[in-house]
Amino acid sequence: MTSTAAEGHAVTPGITERVPSGCPVIHLDASPPLEVGSHWQKANELREASPTFFNTHAQGYWVFTRYDEVREMYQHPEIFSSESITPWDPEPAYRFVPTQIDPPDHAKYRQLISHWFAPNAVARIAPQAHEIGQRLVSGLAARGECDFVTDFAMRLPTEIFLAIIGVPPSDADLFVPWVEDFFAGFGGDLEQQQAMGAALGGIRQYWVDVLEERRGEAAPRENDFVSLLLHSTVDDAPLGDDLILDILTVLVLAGLDTTRGQLGYLFRHLADNPDDRGRLIEEPGLIPSAVEESLRLYTIIFGDGRKVAEDTEFHGCPLRKGDMVYGLVSGANRDPRMYDRPDDFVVDRKANNHLGFAGGPHRCLGAHLARMVMQVAVEEWLKVIPDFHVASDSPLMERGGGAMMTLLSLPLAWEVPA
Amino acid sequence: MKLEVSAPLCRGHGRCYTVAPDLLEDDDDEGFVTVRGQIIDVPSDQEDAARDAAGSCPERAVSLHED
Repeated sequence: MTSTAAEGHAVTPGITERVPSGCPVIHLDASPPLEVGSHWQKANELREASPTFFNTHAQGYWVFTRYDEVREMYQHPEIFSSESITPWDPEPAYRFVPTQIDPPDHAKYRQLISHWFAPNAVARIAPQAHEIGQRLVSGLAARGECDFVTDFAMRLPTEIFLAIIGVPPSDADLFVPWVEDFFAGFGGDLEQQQAMGAALGGIRQYWVDVLEERRGEAAPRENDFVSLLLHSTVDDAPLGDDLILDILTVLVLAGLDTTRGQLGYLFRHLADNPDDRGRLIEEPGLIPSAVEESLRLYTIIFGDGRKVAEDTEFHGCPLRKGDMVYGLVSGANRDPRMYDRPDDFVVDRKANNHLGFAGGPHRCLGAHLARMVMQVAVEEWLKVIPDFHVASDSPLMERGGGAMMTLLSLPLAWEVPA
Repeated sequence: MKLEVSAPLCRGHGRCYTVAPDLLEDDDDEGFVTVRGQIIDVPSDQEDAARDAAGSCPERAVSLHED
């Protein structure tokens, strides 16, 4: 049993007395790794039992399980602040920008970044992304096997991200272990806190060095995000190194591990479902739709946290300023009130309005990039390795929902032509 | 049929112009649909695409008005 950061924190005195009779009380720590699929099953059970819960994990927080409530949480930042997005840690030691900045300041910072990850910017990098994908797949093909999660799913988004930022994609050698170490600790495992701190330090120093290389230049370098930030202003003032480093760090943490996690689940599905695989080979135009469906059905966001900014009654829950809430995104994305066949992978699903990229002002800024990376992965992989299967006798395990979920490993195997 | 995109609700997910590429397009800058905050006529051959666009929006920013 791993200890978690939440242990040792008592439930806030008096808070459970406020829980109304219609809101069941649970004790759920979602941070330990479980067999693949367990978290979605848990989310399904909770959602069908009640739209709201009070969870006595850590200091205690409210849980919303259904699509409409989760979307409502996202769309009301004036009530649900992003000051903390981890409900078991209301006073986080880190500050993610713009993730944890509330409106109206949020938009100023977000605009600096959002152009860089807009569809046209992502389209500009797509040819290079395909080259990276082709190189990685061709490097694996002759082996006949790999651990998809570490050998491909982490490497591809990292290299493409570094390319779009304007630093060498080969620096993925540095970033892959840093991101691994960070998320080992982020989910609440105390034993990993030191490695998490060291990883954050490594990432930050990397960007310090990149900043130093570019400082003092008269004009921004072309297609160079760090250089652009150095030349940017908010409210007529330069951003300053601390803010630039915060922004760059959060992009690394928000962008790489997430895409890796999502790719693992999608490729496990493709390995287990030759019909869907065959359909995507026959009709590659369906790949974007399949990517959306994997974001819905295999959402890696077990839940998303917010901090209550003003006293309010929310679906029968008497929320007080300072309370934490947890929107169960994985419950919302399989809500039968919203979706037909909610637990099936429907390759060509219509009206797929999943919340896998969140919603409201903090809608995932890298969503367009993430989709492109996933589409590149499927397209380039299936061209070279059309038939593959999961090569594991024991059940696959997934990282707990304290951080973003991901398969811990995905052994794949395929025939290598003689 | 008319299609309306609510400016305050739209967050640039890009789902609408992806599923209805012959009806809607992105603004080529931040990734918002060009008709954010507008009401447009939907050609009869685009009505299914418009329905998919409305149903695909995670913000419920896209609404349809049947004639």
